[in-house]
Amino acid sequence: MGAEVVTVSTDTKFVHLAWQREEKMLENVKYPMGSDPTGNLSRLFGVYDEETGLALRGTFIISPEGKLLNSEVNFYNLGRNIDELMRKFKANLHLAKHANEGCPSKWKDEGDKTLTPSAKLVGRVYEALK
Amino acid sequence: MEEVCCGLKVGQDVPDFSIETYEPSKSDFGEFSLETQKADKKWTILFFYPADFTFV
Repeated sequence: MGAEVVTVSTDTKFVHLAWQREEKMLENVKYPMGSDPTGNLSRLFGVYDEETGLALRGTFIISPEGKLLNSEVNFYNLGRNIDELMRKFKANLHLAKHANEGCPSKWKDEGDKTLTPSAKLVGRVYEALK
Repeated sequence: MEEVCCGLKVGQDVPDFSIETYEPSKSDFGEFSLETQKADKKWTILFFYPADFTFV
Protein backbone atom coordinates (compact mmCIF):
# COMPACT_ATOMS: atom_id res chain seq x y z
CA MET A 1 0.00 0.00 0.00
CA GLY A 2 2.99 2.30 0.27
CA ALA A 3 2.77 2.86 3.99
CA GLU A 4 4.78 1.49 6.83
CA VAL A 5 2.62 0.07 9.60
CA VAL A 6 4.23 0.09 13.03
CA THR A 7 2.48 -1.37 16.04
CA VAL A 8 3.28 0.18 19.41
CA SER A 9 2.72 -0.94 22.99
CA THR A 10 4.49 -0.20 26.25
CA ASP A 11 6.04 -3.69 26.24
CA THR A 12 9.77 -4.02 25.60
CA LYS A 13 11.14 -5.32 22.29
CA PHE A 14 12.13 -8.51 24.13
CA VAL A 15 8.51 -9.21 25.02
CA HIS A 16 7.48 -8.42 21.43
CA LEU A 17 9.95 -11.05 20.25
CA ALA A 18 8.68 -13.64 22.72
CA TRP A 19 5.03 -12.95 21.91
CA GLN A 20 5.54 -13.07 18.15
CA ARG A 21 7.39 -16.39 18.44
CA GLU A 22 4.89 -17.92 20.85
CA GLU A 23 1.54 -16.83 19.38
CA LYS A 24 0.54 -18.81 16.28
CA MET A 25 -1.77 -16.01 15.14
CA LEU A 26 1.29 -13.76 14.75
CA GLU A 27 3.46 -16.11 12.74
CA ASN A 28 2.91 -14.16 9.51
CA VAL A 29 3.46 -10.72 11.01
CA LYS A 30 5.77 -8.57 8.88
CA TYR A 31 5.44 -5.13 10.40
CA PRO A 32 7.91 -3.77 12.94
CA MET A 33 6.66 -3.98 16.52
CA GLY A 34 7.56 -0.76 18.30
CA SER A 35 8.36 -0.51 21.97
CA ASP A 36 7.42 2.46 24.14
CA PRO A 37 8.30 1.40 27.71
CA THR A 38 8.50 5.01 28.96
CA GLY A 39 5.08 5.83 27.50
CA ASN A 40 6.52 8.98 25.94
CA LEU A 41 5.33 8.24 22.41
CA SER A 42 1.92 7.16 23.73
CA ARG A 43 1.68 10.45 25.67
CA LEU A 44 2.62 12.42 22.55
CA PHE A 45 -0.39 10.90 20.78
CA GLY A 46 -2.64 11.22 23.82
CA VAL A 47 -3.25 7.48 24.26
CA TYR A 48 -1.26 6.84 27.45
CA ASP A 49 -3.34 5.68 30.40
CA GLU A 50 -1.48 6.93 33.50
CA GLU A 51 -3.47 4.60 35.77
CA THR A 52 -2.53 1.38 34.03
CA GLY A 53 0.70 2.31 32.23
CA LEU A 54 -0.82 0.97 29.02
CA ALA A 55 -1.62 2.55 25.66
CA LEU A 56 -5.22 2.79 24.50
CA ARG A 57 -6.19 1.49 21.05
CA GLY A 58 -5.12 4.47 18.96
CA THR A 59 -4.53 4.54 15.21
CA PHE A 60 -2.75 7.45 13.54
CA ILE A 61 -1.95 8.16 9.90
CA ILE A 62 1.07 10.40 9.27
CA SER A 63 1.83 11.84 5.84
CA PRO A 64 5.28 11.65 4.19
CA GLU A 65 5.70 15.30 5.25
CA GLY A 66 5.19 14.33 8.89
CA LYS A 67 1.71 15.78 9.33
CA LEU A 68 -0.87 13.95 11.44
CA LEU A 69 -3.92 13.43 9.19
CA ASN A 70 -6.12 10.93 11.02
CA SER A 71 -6.62 9.94 14.60
CA GLU A 72 -8.88 7.28 16.03
CA VAL A 73 -8.85 6.11 19.64
CA ASN A 74 -10.91 3.30 21.13
CA PHE A 75 -11.17 2.24 24.76
CA TYR A 76 -9.70 -1.15 25.76
CA ASN A 77 -12.73 -3.24 24.93
CA LEU A 78 -13.36 -2.26 21.31
CA GLY A 79 -11.28 -3.54 18.43
CA ARG A 80 -10.59 -1.61 15.25
CA ASN A 81 -11.95 -2.20 11.78
CA ILE A 82 -9.15 -2.65 9.27
CA ASP A 83 -11.47 -1.91 6.32
CA GLU A 84 -12.15 1.55 7.72
CA LEU A 85 -8.44 2.13 8.29
CA MET A 86 -7.73 1.15 4.68
CA ARG A 87 -10.55 3.41 3.46
CA LYS A 88 -9.05 6.35 5.30
CA PHE A 89 -5.57 5.57 4.06
CA LYS A 90 -6.72 5.32 0.42
CA ALA A 91 -8.65 8.57 0.80
CA ASN A 92 -5.48 10.24 2.09
CA LEU A 93 -3.54 9.03 -0.96
CA HIS A 94 -6.26 10.41 -3.23
CA LEU A 95 -6.45 13.75 -1.41
CA ALA A 96 -2.66 14.13 -1.46
CA LYS A 97 -2.93 14.21 -5.27
CA HIS A 98 -6.21 16.18 -5.47
CA ALA A 99 -5.91 18.83 -2.80
CA ASN A 100 -9.06 20.73 -3.85
CA GLU A 101 -11.38 17.70 -3.43
CA GLY A 102 -13.03 16.11 -0.43
CA CYS A 103 -13.85 12.44 0.11
CA PRO A 104 -17.41 12.06 1.45
CA SER A 105 -18.41 9.48 4.06
CA LYS A 106 -19.41 6.87 1.48
CA TRP A 107 -16.16 7.19 -0.49
CA LYS A 108 -14.54 3.77 -0.52
CA ASP A 109 -11.98 3.56 -3.27
CA GLU A 110 -10.41 5.27 -6.24
CA GLY A 111 -13.13 5.99 -8.82
CA ASP A 112 -15.85 6.78 -6.27
CA LYS A 113 -17.33 10.27 -6.36
CA THR A 114 -15.55 13.04 -4.53
CA LEU A 115 -16.77 16.56 -3.81
CA THR A 116 -15.09 19.78 -4.83
CA PRO A 117 -16.30 22.52 -2.50
CA SER A 118 -17.52 25.66 -4.29
CA ALA A 119 -20.39 28.15 -4.15
CA LYS A 120 -22.28 25.94 -6.62
CA LEU A 121 -22.11 22.98 -4.25
CA VAL A 122 -23.75 24.77 -1.32
CA GLY A 123 -27.11 23.12 -0.71
CA ARG A 124 -26.54 20.78 -3.69
CA VAL A 125 -24.53 17.94 -2.18
CA TYR A 126 -27.35 15.45 -2.79
CA GLU A 127 -27.36 16.22 -6.52
CA ALA A 128 -23.56 16.20 -6.71
CA LEU A 129 -23.38 12.69 -5.25
CA LYS A 130 -26.15 11.23 -7.41
CA MET B 1 7.57 24.12 14.72
CA GLU B 2 5.91 24.59 18.09
CA GLU B 3 6.82 22.03 20.73
CA VAL B 4 4.06 19.54 21.48
CA CYS B 5 4.15 17.60 24.72
CA CYS B 6 1.06 15.47 24.40
CA GLY B 7 -2.21 14.87 22.74
CA LEU B 8 -1.31 15.76 19.16
CA LYS B 9 -4.26 16.88 17.06
CA VAL B 10 -4.91 16.18 13.40
CA GLY B 11 -3.36 18.81 11.19
CA GLN B 12 -0.35 19.23 13.45
CA ASP B 13 3.19 18.31 12.49
CA VAL B 14 4.43 15.25 14.36
CA PRO B 15 7.77 15.93 16.04
CA ASP B 16 10.53 13.57 14.94
CA PHE B 17 10.74 10.50 17.14
CA SER B 18 12.36 7.12 17.08
CA ILE B 19 11.53 3.92 18.93
CA GLU B 20 13.13 0.52 19.32
CA THR B 21 11.43 -2.30 17.46
CA TYR B 22 11.37 -6.02 17.05
CA GLU B 23 11.25 -6.86 13.34
CA PRO B 24 9.65 -10.26 12.73
CA SER B 25 10.66 -10.15 9.03
CA LYS B 26 14.34 -10.16 10.05
CA SER B 27 13.97 -11.90 13.40
CA ASP B 28 16.03 -9.04 14.79
CA PHE B 29 15.76 -5.85 16.76
CA GLY B 30 15.67 -2.54 14.92
CA GLU B 31 14.65 1.07 15.13
CA PHE B 32 11.78 3.03 13.61
CA SER B 33 12.40 6.72 12.97
CA LEU B 34 9.92 9.27 11.66
CA GLU B 35 12.81 11.31 10.31
CA THR B 36 13.80 8.38 8.08
CA GLN B 37 10.21 7.95 6.93
CA LYS B 38 10.09 11.61 5.90
CA ALA B 39 13.44 11.32 4.10
CA ASP B 40 12.08 8.24 2.25
CA LYS B 41 8.77 10.04 1.53
CA LYS B 42 6.78 7.23 3.12
CA TRP B 43 3.43 7.21 4.89
CA THR B 44 3.27 5.93 8.46
CA ILE B 45 0.43 4.18 10.24
CA LEU B 46 0.93 3.95 14.00
CA PHE B 47 -1.17 1.29 15.66
CA PHE B 48 -1.16 1.47 19.47
CA TYR B 49 -2.52 -1.37 21.61
CA PRO B 50 -2.50 -2.08 25.35
CA ALA B 51 -0.29 -5.12 25.78
CA ASP B 52 1.39 -8.14 24.22
CA PHE B 53 -0.13 -11.54 25.05
CA THR B 54 -3.64 -10.12 24.99
CA PHE B 55 -6.00 -10.00 22.04
CA VAL B 56 -5.30 -7.03 19.78
